[in-house]
Amino acid sequence: MKKGTYWLHVAIGLLIVLSTTQCGTPAQPTATQAPTVKEEATATPEPTKAAPAEEGAPNVFVYGHGTTFPDIDPAVSFSNDSVVVSNCYETLAFYNPPGSAELLSPLLATSWEANDDATEWVFHIREGVTFHNGDPLNAEAVKGALDNTMELGAGAAYIWDPVEEIEVVDDYTVKFKLSYAAPLDLVASSGYGAWIYNPTVYKEKGTEWFNEGHCAGTGPYTIESRERGSRLIMTRNEDYWGGWREGQFDKVVFEVREDNVVLQQMIEAGAANFTYGVPPDNLAALDARDDIVVYTNPSFQNLVGLLNTQKPPLDNKLVRQALAYSVPYAQFIEGVMGTRATQAYGPVPAGMWGYSKDLFQYTYDLDKAKELLAEAGHPDGGFDLLYTFATGDMDEQQLGELWQAELAKLGINLEVQALNWEAQWDLAKSDPQSAQDVFVMYWWPDYVSPYSFLFSMFHSEDDILFNLGYYRNAEFDDLIDNANALSGSDRQKAEEMFVQAQEILIEDVASLFFYDVANTHLARSDIKGYVDNPAYPHVVFVYQLTRE
Amino acid sequence: MRRLEYVIRRLAMAVLVLVSVSIITFFIARVVPSDPAAAWVGPHPTKEQIALATDRLGLDRPLYEQYLRYMRGLLRGDLGHSIKTHQPITTDLKTFLPATMELVLAGMVMAVVIGIPFGVLSGARKGSLLDHFTRLFSIAGVSMPTFWLGLLLQLFFFGRLGLLPLAGRVSTQVALYHRVEQITGFYLIDTAITGNWVAFKDVLIHIILPAFTLATYAIGLIIRMTRSTMIEVLGEKYILASRVAGISERVVLFVLALKNAIIPTITVLGLSFVYSLTGAILVEVIFAWPGLGSYVTNAVLSIDFPVIVSVTLVVTVFYVFINLLLDLGQAMLDPRVTLQ
Repeated sequence: MKKGTYWLHVAIGLLIVLSTTQCGTPAQPTATQAPTVKEEATATPEPTKAAPAEEGAPNVFVYGHGTTFPDIDPAVSFSNDSVVVSNCYETLAFYNPPGSAELLSPLLATSWEANDDATEWVFHIREGVTFHNGDPLNAEAVKGALDNTMELGAGAAYIWDPVEEIEVVDDYTVKFKLSYAAPLDLVASSGYGAWIYNPTVYKEKGTEWFNEGHCAGTGPYTIESRERGSRLIMTRNEDYWGGWREGQFDKVVFEVREDNVVLQQMIEAGAANFTYGVPPDNLAALDARDDIVVYTNPSFQNLVGLLNTQKPPLDNKLVRQALAYSVPYAQFIEGVMGTRATQAYGPVPAGMWGYSKDLFQYTYDLDKAKELLAEAGHPDGGFDLLYTFATGDMDEQQLGELWQAELAKLGINLEVQALNWEAQWDLAKSDPQSAQDVFVMYWWPDYVSPYSFLFSMFHSEDDILFNLGYYRNAEFDDLIDNANALSGSDRQKAEEMFVQAQEILIEDVASLFFYDVANTHLARSDIKGYVDNPAYPHVVFVYQLTRE
Repeated sequence: MRRLEYVIRRLAMAVLVLVSVSIITFFIARVVPSDPAAAWVGPHPTKEQIALATDRLGLDRPLYEQYLRYMRGLLRGDLGHSIKTHQPITTDLKTFLPATMELVLAGMVMAVVIGIPFGVLSGARKGSLLDHFTRLFSIAGVSMPTFWLGLLLQLFFFGRLGLLPLAGRVSTQVALYHRVEQITGFYLIDTAITGNWVAFKDVLIHIILPAFTLATYAIGLIIRMTRSTMIEVLGEKYILASRVAGISERVVLFVLALKNAIIPTITVLGLSFVYSLTGAILVEVIFAWPGLGSYVTNAVLSIDFPVIVSVTLVVTVFYVFINLLLDLGQAMLDPRVTLQ
């Protein structure tokens, strides 16, 4: 063969390969199992597809996760790292998924009771539980862990703010004395700041030891190794107090993949058993597959647009009401969000206690908006508004752009401005008169209570923190403070008061309540027992799962 | 003696460059609207927590004092703590820098192994099909966005062929049962030292796609540079004389001609190496490579200024010293180059 012809063939071959790469439809991967291989395997593992399950092989659960885990110290952790922490540590109480008969279940505490005004709480600690190093869990350990968390004051430690003193009553009883009434059972079930860890180990080893990839909890799994930024491996705590049954997982691997397309490829290929955060546009195709189950459930997160109640023209309630009628809620949810959102009824998200479908819900009605504007003295609009949102959030951006077009019909010019979250927040915390008109952000609770939403975003503040609409209403403040005090002793009454408080907010339009976010998680179809619990966002309690 | 003076002068300049870069980066990162104290605390900080963090991080001090405090720490080898992870940055760099260096070095090896032979052959056979193909490849390599190329390679080699891994540095199975014992942080070296050949092979196949993606730019540059210098050198009389003397074409091309043609290529290679350190950012995100790129991406997104400044300084150090080494190397290889 002539040299020229040879190279021509090579070039053509490469072109074919390249064009196949770009235009071809990727073949459906055939693997259906996560890595389940013999421990003593000596051959090089298959690089891409997981090996099939073999008898006697460890059962491994792989969670493809889109973010790294910044801090897995149980006293500090206050982020997505709860997906790791929650398999290693446990809380005194457990917040049940929506729809359960009871709000809370016992976990490390077998029962608890409060005095009449919920200023003293007694928790009875489960006997026969040990930490991963064999130390017993008792009242002293619970006190030691929570005292340490409160003393450090990091992360979500503030949830224990009402606690004045923790007293060890006997080996398995602790009493919390509060400086003001609070629902301490809910606090004790929080996915942030309420983990019980071995205080002796914590004092001895310190925060860096935990972050190197160690665990000192009572949970079903303990950390085996951590490769910062890429992987964390957990292994069974054989002495777990809950015992083990057949089919449960021996090991849990968190594979960090920050690109959502890569996450999708992992779940498709069976290289991950569970993930979330894949490109929303591809969800329908994934849902159609037999080997993947798409779980869509309400989260306890919502998107709000806090209206600047201190600056004209939004200091006028009628103008705010007009804005509430101008948002194309249904159109946006249907066209952009699909199953990922539902229109909100007030500031408390769907599925959470304190949520009520009886609350008034604004709908898109431009005629009504025009009427209200005319009544407020702005019949032709004629003013500008600034809408700020966090850079990179396409949902917030598209919502702003869609709403911008509707407001233009009312003669209102909406500037949609993307800002880094820090910058967005900084501007909002400055002077309300020069700040934004609409502050768009998500909110989610630290411990599950309507108070987290109502207090943080709407309680009067002298130094602005998260009340970024600068709303002030003494009646509302009293109502939610009293409801919070009651939420430990008379939760039903508290709930009624929280609903009443939301009616005030909706009437005043202190904020636009755009939508409640629905979480979408994907699991391989052979994974059984998964139940989404929005109180612990994106957490998979692997102990509850089995492989079919 | 002249060389020593030159080196000392360049090192003094390097210190000036580093100080300037640290000032610029520190002040830019700090004047961007942000609240590091709030970021330190977490997503829902209280006022008390913010006040405590402000005090702890010294953020209530004037900016120049904060800078001097940072620099004092730097001189002691303490780069401070990450605002986001609360971990010492020095520890983080020990983890992430070797991963990036391994990736970049693998990319450079690929660039040399592919780029130089193709550049030589392309120059020697100017106008041939090979030459056209090589030029096309080099232009594509230089101009193709790495994130796009990376995704295509993943789709083809993982999604379609199932030949190479999708992402990561080692597979889950190896992490579980043939764990890499970290000695140098360079997994290829660590697995070889410890005789962990299962892991070695696994690391090797994991590095192919990200390294090739990273190398395409350098390959393109090296091919173009080698080709053009080869064309020039091959026109020299000593090449003609060598051919007349009956020296084999392989020796003429790869020994006699390449020796003189390689000098500009070395410069390009050095600069490509440093360029790859920053170019690795996208590649690392796509291939979930736990290196400096992923680390600094997260830092930039959360305005984690101590990390941003530290990583910038590390990259600057590489830039400055590799430039210095290149200049010294050129002077050694080419007598026409003088150090002034």
